[in-house]
Amino acid sequence: MRPHLIALGAIVVLCAAAAFGLHDTVTLDLLFTLLLYAVLGQSWNWISGYAGNISFGHAIFFACGAYASALCVTHGLSPWLAFPAGALVAALLAVVTGFPTLALRGHYFSIATIAVAALVEVFVRTSPWLGGANGFELPIASGWAALQFSQKGPYVLLALALFAIVQLATMWLERSRLGYYLRALRANHAAAASVGIDERRWKLIAFAWSAVMASAAGVLYAQYTLFVDPPSTIALAISIDIALIGVVGGIGTLWGPAAGALVYVVLAKGVALQIGGTGKGYDLVIYGAIICIIAAWRPHGIVGTIVDALRRRRGTATATPA
Amino acid sequence: MTTLLEVRGLAKRFGSLRALDGVDLDVAEGSLTGLIGPNGAGKSTAFSCIAGADKPSAGSVRFRGREIAGMAYHRVAALGIGRTYQIVQTFAEMTVLEAVTTGALLRHPRLRDAIGSAEEVLEFVGLADKRHRLGRALTIADKKRLEVARALATEPALLLLDEVMAGLTPAECRDAVDLLRRVLARGITVLMVEHVMEVLMPIAEHVVVIAAGKTIFSGSAAEAVRDPRVVEAYLGSPLEHGEIAS
Repeated sequence: MRPHLIALGAIVVLCAAAAFGLHDTVTLDLLFTLLLYAVLGQSWNWISGYAGNISFGHAIFFACGAYASALCVTHGLSPWLAFPAGALVAALLAVVTGFPTLALRGHYFSIATIAVAALVEVFVRTSPWLGGANGFELPIASGWAALQFSQKGPYVLLALALFAIVQLATMWLERSRLGYYLRALRANHAAAASVGIDERRWKLIAFAWSAVMASAAGVLYAQYTLFVDPPSTIALAISIDIALIGVVGGIGTLWGPAAGALVYVVLAKGVALQIGGTGKGYDLVIYGAIICIIAAWRPHGIVGTIVDALRRRRGTATATPA
Repeated sequence: MTTLLEVRGLAKRFGSLRALDGVDLDVAEGSLTGLIGPNGAGKSTAFSCIAGADKPSAGSVRFRGREIAGMAYHRVAALGIGRTYQIVQTFAEMTVLEAVTTGALLRHPRLRDAIGSAEEVLEFVGLADKRHRLGRALTIADKKRLEVARALATEPALLLLDEVMAGLTPAECRDAVDLLRRVLARGITVLMVEHVMEVLMPIAEHVVVIAAGKTIFSGSAAEAVRDPRVVEAYLGSPLEHGEIAS
């Protein structure tokens, strides 16, 4: 617990220093994206890592926040309202998706998340009040009340605050009844039921919180880009990016999503900045190769591999299963 | 003595197969009751139907006078029935302490209290010095002990033990019997399935014998071995003779 708090404190200090001290927009943009993806990865990690139900539709919860933000701003409401409003819709969507599928064996849950995401995308595209296929452009404003800033520093601070909250929540999860129950359910659902664990109830709670986190990231994203449309928020490609970040970093670990986001942003986006302009897609090739290497040799992800190595040094245990 | 568990006409069909076809049994509060029968008699299926892991096709299961047949598995556990599995089902990536804590969280929702309670249970079953090992890194005997600990941590009134002695060495069996006696001394009622009758003889006050999915005998262990129906069920054919020897 304590080393994790120190690590988090160090990250907060470093990122805050960067937000105040740096004026290089490219670096700050990467930092904002990194923190946002770390939050999305952790959100995914709650239901797919700790609870073991792989979600391939996580972008819809992100979209809930982004669209809540767009709707609030275009209707003259405070964008801060988008946090509770987006969270509520995201949690409801999670419960509706999860209730019939979370306690089923096999891949029904994963399929359901893809199906619901596809339905939501079609619904948004055909709903004029949700901007249809064109999406929303948010009117430009400035200041904390409008949650918009001319500099990138405050955005980085907001993303950092969200990241810190999500990491603290996950530390709490690991030391809570919910966290123990999710791990037990992932390991052996029958044995878990035999000690009184109601699979559907606890997984729904985890899924709803997961959706709330992703929605909060969506609000910040909309306020940052000032543009929200289906391809940039709901598309399957985004859901897969979120899932890959979780897998690359190491599922069911506290720092896995942050490590996965680091790999994703530094390598995928960083490489894209260097050579992506050629339009030949080398960046995707390199990122794809990294995923293949991790999947083949280190299926526990980056953090999972480190945890295993530490355990071996202490001589307590063997590898954690993926 | 009051009856804690009362099973009547329990039946379970898998398609056209009648795995259970009329099991009756009573478990008196505070007793150790043995459930025995030859291979394939339906012992584990009966267990699963009582614990709620399987839904019976017919019949009634009353626990403390309350009908629980067909109730969700986790709710049966919450009512006070703990169980172990014939084939050990550990939480593979959890340490011994974490697995038992998971059980203790049923009655102690705060993690700190649950860990304290789990530590006591580990002390009680004799696994305290292995509390930081991973569950799947234990020996068979310790894995079975861990399952008992996890079930005890839920503070059950009735403990269902499915072949906890199977695969143990004679010394380990003696330890297990010792543990059972201490469990009983705590006031926990035990219903245990055993394939080998010799294990049960010295400890079970009451024995229920099932064969081909039906209860064929209910009484004391000493009477059971003299009962012609029981002898026939076990020794009925030369093929089955090999099983009892094993």
